[in-house]
Parts: sequence; structure tokens; C-alpha cells
Amino acid sequence: MKTSEFIVRRIILLIPVMIGVTVFTFAIAQIIPADPAAILCGERCGLVDPVTGKTMLELQRERLGLDEPVVEQFRLYLVNLAEGDWGDSTTYNRPTSEVVRDAAPVTLEMALFALLMAYPIGITLGILSAVWQDQVFDHISRFLAIAFVSLPIFWLAMMLQLIFGTGPDVGGICDPIFGTEGGCLPIYGRHDTALTYPDRTSSLCDTAISGIACYPSWYPSGGTGFHLVDSWFVTDEALANIHPDYSSNSKLFNDTLVHLVLPSFTLGIASAGSLLRYMRASLLEVMNEDYVRTARAKGLSESRVIIVHACRNALVPILTILGFSIGGAIGGAVLTESIFAFYGMGNVAVDAIINLDYSVLMGVTLITAIIFLMSNLIVDILYGVVDPRVRLE
Amino acid sequence: MSWEDGSEDRAESRRRILERAAQARYDLQRGWKIYRRSLLAVAGLLMVISISTVSIFADDIAVEHPGRNLQDTRDVWHIDYEPRKAAPFSEECDTRNQKVSLTNLRRWDANATNALSPVKIAEDNSFYEDILVVTEFKEVVDRNGNSISIDLVYLDPTNNSYFWIADELMENNSVTQIKLIYKFENEEMHHWWMPEGYDVCIFGTNDEGQDLFSKILYGSRVSLTIGFTVATLTVIIGTIIGSISGYFGGRVDEVIMRITDIFFAVPGLILALAFVAALQAIDNLAIPLALAILPLILMLIVPFRSAIISVLMPGSEDTLSRIEPAALLAVGLGAVLLLPLGLYGIWEGLFETSDTRTWRLFFSFIVISVFAGLLTLDNRMTKNFSIEGFSERALNTLNWKNPYRYLTLRTAIIFFAAIILFSWSDDTDNQIVIIDNFDRLWKIQIALVFTGWPGYARLIRGQVLYVKEMTFVEAAKSVGAPSGRIMFRHILPNAWAPLLVAFTLDIGGTILSASGLSFIGLGAEPGAAEWGKLVSDGRSHFPQDYWLVLFPGLAIAYTTLGFNLLGDGLRDVVDPKNRR
Repeated sequence: MKTSEFIVRRIILLIPVMIGVTVFTFAIAQIIPADPAAILCGERCGLVDPVTGKTMLELQRERLGLDEPVVEQFRLYLVNLAEGDWGDSTTYNRPTSEVVRDAAPVTLEMALFALLMAYPIGITLGILSAVWQDQVFDHISRFLAIAFVSLPIFWLAMMLQLIFGTGPDVGGICDPIFGTEGGCLPIYGRHDTALTYPDRTSSLCDTAISGIACYPSWYPSGGTGFHLVDSWFVTDEALANIHPDYSSNSKLFNDTLVHLVLPSFTLGIASAGSLLRYMRASLLEVMNEDYVRTARAKGLSESRVIIVHACRNALVPILTILGFSIGGAIGGAVLTESIFAFYGMGNVAVDAIINLDYSVLMGVTLITAIIFLMSNLIVDILYGVVDPRVRLE
Repeated sequence: MSWEDGSEDRAESRRRILERAAQARYDLQRGWKIYRRSLLAVAGLLMVISISTVSIFADDIAVEHPGRNLQDTRDVWHIDYEPRKAAPFSEECDTRNQKVSLTNLRRWDANATNALSPVKIAEDNSFYEDILVVTEFKEVVDRNGNSISIDLVYLDPTNNSYFWIADELMENNSVTQIKLIYKFENEEMHHWWMPEGYDVCIFGTNDEGQDLFSKILYGSRVSLTIGFTVATLTVIIGTIIGSISGYFGGRVDEVIMRITDIFFAVPGLILALAFVAALQAIDNLAIPLALAILPLILMLIVPFRSAIISVLMPGSEDTLSRIEPAALLAVGLGAVLLLPLGLYGIWEGLFETSDTRTWRLFFSFIVISVFAGLLTLDNRMTKNFSIEGFSERALNTLNWKNPYRYLTLRTAIIFFAAIILFSWSDDTDNQIVIIDNFDRLWKIQIALVFTGWPGYARLIRGQVLYVKEMTFVEAAKSVGAPSGRIMFRHILPNAWAPLLVAFTLDIGGTILSASGLSFIGLGAEPGAAEWGKLVSDGRSHFPQDYWLVLFPGLAIAYTTLGFNLLGDGLRDVVDPKNRR
């Protein structure tokens, strides 16, 4: 099977799953006990429209298509989804697509950065654990692997805040070591509170009001939402206006980075734990292969055998976990975001449930499913490229 | 056939049971040998045992009920308890602040008052106050915060729970309220398992003055219950669906696997969140009686299926020739018993006359007994349709001394299912109330079951696919064993090992997710002794009062770690590589 054919086949396989997910989110929205029409018209529900003689509630229901039979409603939902109309959020008074568009990059950035931190940790420990099999280090790291996945993520987040983000009077450890005051890492928000970051939500970037273009003309207006990337493209004009302390792109980037460290580390810990186990198992399996024996027999140094011959092959199965860890990280983000005051999909989802904002809930479920499926698709394709045997199935 | 005739059968059965027991003992010993090789696994086992013990004996270890109510609304003595937030290992929990309104005392013409504990809730939900024995006065302050001489308030020499307020203070109308700060003999806060004199709240207290240690102890009950319930339910559902998928394969397999794909496409926690939201309108979980009995009836159809087919489709010659009076009798009886269910009106009519629960139980018992009796005849009925000797066989079936005649697995399942279902049944509306108080804890449990089963389904499907190809299954198939028997007798017993590991790991995982949902605010009610909820309650005082977050979280981590280590150890035991 050619690579292109393999990719196409994988994409086609996604279609039934995507349809299933939409059916699923729709079903959930049907069961949720809130009447979106009643929420939208609020106190004015009882008012009668003089022209049509119907109450506001009835008019809203008509507008949202709630009078239609369920099948028709589902068709409408699919058509609207395809046209980019994801419904209106009742809590934010904005279209759901905009809410999701603003929230998704926040979570995604956090999750990807978390994996960026987790992979080196997990893989290194896994390799060392396999090399020193059944020695003290191996036992310790195997314990760590289990401990990492056993820690409640919300608790870990708060403990890290305590250790790195507070002064010694409360329990922080940073101040005596680094000479900082009140902890060495920020524990809330995506940015310094004094800074208004130039993004879509900021009035600074609204050219009509401020007359300043925050990003170059070829760049998405208002930025991509990934601040680690956006920071490098903010125009000098805008930089001059945001805050005297953040007058260069690198300073803006550093601020974003520093704020990401704790949340991402928290999220990454669990992934690092499972990675460690898989890496260890995978490497141990590879070490028994013939080609490793051949490499040793050739008289290569042990480190060369492990790094060049064994690890390269052991890393291939690790790819498959990548897709799952992205899903896990997004799930974990639900818990960490509220603690670190990141306004990503986790916070949005929790708000949506508390306020029974069904369209946002559907939107978030759908977007996480899309992200998860896409990342798995990419991983599958990569796997197919790296290991041609997979394509033969 | 009589009781004596069966003696050989019984001896054979006994021999087999003993053989099985010996084998099981040997397997256990071998398993333990492998298990104890790993120090971590043994530590995990100890952790699980310790947390289970703690949850069982929480009443004895804890110093107070976790739901203690601290609001005192009575104003006779106007004792306004000021909750003291105490740090871990501080002795603050031995001191009480008690506000005494002198105006009230004057109105009641009394100048003595008791040292009282805050209002507590007894086990029967009534309120009570403990009378405290005061050991030492620390301070007396008036309502403006000015210190008053301790001598103006003194203890009754005969009763250490009784304060006397000196006349001088009573007559001074400018003092309307005093605050007494005293140490008391803290028997209620004393842990029997701690040395004398260490009456400290070891994990501190929260801002309502509640002992955190007690709350955490009681929290272990909630978490373990959730863990076991959810893991058991997910295992059952996942096993059933997964084995159907793996055994039958083909289109069934395809559909089930696509459904699990959908579940895997959404991260578990977000799926659970959405599902909890969807469950919000439900306040009790009930199913109509008819629906609950349907599976039992369906199970009964299995033994009679050939007879039913031959009656319903008398086209084929060989089935036609097998229609015997006994088969007709069986179908007829089945129809008579099925009819009430099929026609809901008649079913309802039956129960309208016997509305009470006892009657319904009694009636159901009779129906089930008849079913069970018929069941025991099934093999011979379907194999050898002859009315000859029927009454003899029927009588023999009812010989209660002969367990091998009627205690088949199926009968037992039906009996137990019926008993459980009817113990759940409610007096109203002919429905079976499975969960009476479908509160938020139940909602997260159902949500977790709902999101968890696909994992098991995939796992067991893989196992079944693997075992299905083995020769002993082929052999069973070739002698014409029915699929149910192959599934339960041959495949599942050989596929349970990874399931056990997954089950253990899942208990830990469930405790984590459930506490996460509680942390968000979807699980336990505010103030409940649930670990996730305790952490989220402590958040508003974080990071100053870090202990309110630290200890509940440690409890979660400890329990989850215990189950994960246990599961990891079990994985080594059931690993085929270790089977020697």
C-alpha cells in the first residue's frame, strides 16, 4: 500500500467516528434539562409579540428550531455545524464557535507544552531504567512511574503552587535559593497581571479603536491564540503600547513561557509516568532482538548500541502513545485550568455545565474529539511512515 | 431415581470440588510467591489493606462525626461558638471560645452557665450538645475586646462544667457579653490510639472548626465505595459487551467497536462532565417492573427454544416430528406465564389486587419457583420429549436433598437476580427503584461507568479473540456445546487474568476521576466528607492554610497509589512469562 493510499484510508475511517460523536453530543444536549429558548429570552419569555400573537418563548423556540421533530433538529444541527454556526452561548452571549476558538488554543498550547516537558523526562528515565534493569535506579523509577499516574492532578497543581509560587513563610522553597520574593514561578494566569496581552480580546488590537496593528498583515488578525508563537510576531508599534517592562518580543515570550511552566509540568507528569513504563518495556524487548546482539558482537560500545541501535527502534511504538497522551492532557486540563486561571476549554466546559449552556458543551465536546482524532490521525500516519510494516495490514 | 441412586454422582462431585480447591490453593501459593518478590507490590497490598481497615473502623478512629453542625441558633444561653482554624499538630483544638450574653443571663435571672460543645448531629439526625469539663481558664474578654479579670468568672468547685459569673460583673450593665476562652478536658478530641496528653488535631481543623482528620477518615468510605462500585459495574458491562463482540465477530463486532471508537474520541473527563450534566434532571433511578422481569423470561426461553421453534415454525420435518406432549406442555406453561407480561394491562391488573409489597414478593416468589422448577427439567425435556415418567421426574426434581438436581448456575443466577430486583421494588407505580436517592455522587458514578466500559470491552474482546482460537474451544464446539456454555465455561475462565489487573488499576483511576469531578463541584455536596470536595473547600484558604489541601490530596494519592501498586504486582503474577 502506498503512503498516500494509507493516509486516505485512515481519513475515511474517521468519518463514521465523527458522525458518531455528533450524534452523541446531540443526544447529550437533548437530555440536558435546560430549555435553551427559556434561557435566551429570560424574563421576557411571557411577553406577547403584538404582530404574531405568540409569546417570546414560542418565538425563540421557533428560531432555534425546537418545534421540529428530533430528526429534523439533528439535520439542522449538522447543517449549521457544517456552515460554521455552532449555536449561541447563553453564558457568554457570544457565538459558541468564537468561545471555542478563543479557548482551544489556550488548552492546546498548555497540553503540547506539557508533552514537550513530559517526553524527555519519561524517555530518559525509561531508557536508564531499562539499561539498569532490576537495579536500585530501576526500582525507584518504576515506583515513580506508578506514583506519577496516581497523583491527583488538581492537588499536584496546588502543591507546586505552594512550593514554587509562595514565600518561605507559607512553604515555598524558592526564595532562599534564588533570592526571589514570594516564589520564583508565577502561579496564576497566562501573563503578568499588569500586562494586557495583544490578542483578540484586547481592545489594543482593535484597529478601529486604537489604530494600531498588533500583528503583521499576513498574520491572522488578533493572533493565533498560541501565545508562545504569537509573541514573536507582535509588531513594534504594539509592543510600545502594552507595558514598559515588555518592550521586546523575547520578553513577551519569556513571560508566556514562565507562566506555562507550572501548569504544563502538572499536566505532563502523568504522561511522563506512563511514557516511562512504555519506554522501559519497549527498550527491554528490543534489547533481545538479533540486531542488537549483532551490534554488540561487532564490538560497538554499549552506549552506541543502546542509543543508536536499540533506542531508535524502541521509540517507534512510543509514537502510538503520543496521540493518547494529547487526549489525556486535554482531559487533565479541565482540572488544572481552573487552578492556574487559564481560560481554556476546561474552564469553559465547567462553566457550561454549571450554567447548563448546552451549545458550548456540545462545542467543547466536539472540538476535543476533533483535536484528539486529528492528533491520532497524525500519529497513525507518522507511524505508517516510520514503520512501513504497519501499512501492509 | 432416588437419593441413594445419586451417591456416585455426589461422590464424583465432591472429589472434583476437592480437586479444584487443591488446585486453587496451589495457584494462590504460587501467585503469592511471585507477588512477594516485588517490594513495591507488597507495599501496595499493605496500603490497600490499611486504607480499607481505616474506612471500616472510621467510627472508632475518628474523633467526631464529619457532618457536625456548627450553627447554634438557640439564644437562651447564647453560646456563640467561634470556630477556630487550627494548624496540624497544634493544641488549639483543646481550647474553646464561648460567648456568653450577660443580658440574656440577667433576663433569665441566672448567673451560671454550662461549658458546652457546639451543636452536633447524632446518628439519628437529632441535635445534641456535649457538656465539657473545663480544666483551665485562659482569658475572659468583654465584647469590646477588653480583658476582664479571670477572677470574675470562676468554676463551680463541685462541677467543672459550670461557670459562675461574679455578681460584680453581673451588675455592671456596661458589660453585655463576655467571651470565655478556656481549655477543656478534650475527651472527644482525644484519639484512643495516641499516647495520653497528645490531644492535638493531627491534621488541623478547617475554618468551621471541624477536625480534618476525622473528615478524611470518613472520606475513605466514600472513595472506596465509589471505586469498587464503578469498577465492578464497568467490568460487568464491559465483559458482557466485549465478549459478545469478540465471540460473535462480524457485523456485531464492527458496530460495537465503532461505538467504542466514539467513546475513545472524547477525553474521559470531558465525556463524564457532559454526562453528569445530562443526568441533572434525574432524581431517582427506577425501571418499570415489566422491564426488569423481561431478562428473566428471556433466559427461560433458552431451554425451551427448540420446542418453541417447533411450534411456531412447524415447516421443517424433523422439528415437526419432535413435537411431543411435553414440549407442548412446556410452551403452554411458558405462554401462560409470559402472557401477563406481554399484555401489560393484565399484569397491572394482577398487581392491583395485591398492592402491598409483601404480596408482590410472595406472588413473585411463586412465579419464580415455578420457573425454576421448569428449568430443572429443561435438559431432559428438550432432549427426550416424552411424557413417560414425567411425574416421577418432576417429583425427583423437587427432592430438595439432592443439590445436583436443581442448583444449576442458571437457576442460581435467576434466583439471585429476582431477589435483588424485588428487594429494590417500590410500592408505587409498579416500578423497581434501583437507586432511591439518586444524588450527585450517584451521578458521577454512573457517568464514570458510562465512560469506562469501552476500555474493558476492548480488553476482553482481545482476550476472547485470542482464546477463541485455542484447541479446547474447537473441541467444545465440535461436540456441539452451545455458545453460552463455551463463553462462560471455556473462554471467560481463560481470559480473566488481564481483567483482574485492569479492575484493580481501575479502582485507583476511578477514585482519581471521582475526586476530580468532586473538585470541579459536580460530585459531593458542599461540606461533605469527600476527598476531592475537601481539597476544593480548602482552596479558598490556599496557600495560607495549606493543610486543608495537603492532607485530603495525600489521602487520594495514597489510596490510588496503593491500588496501582497492587494492580502492578498482580500483573506480574498473571503474566504468562512467570507461569512455571
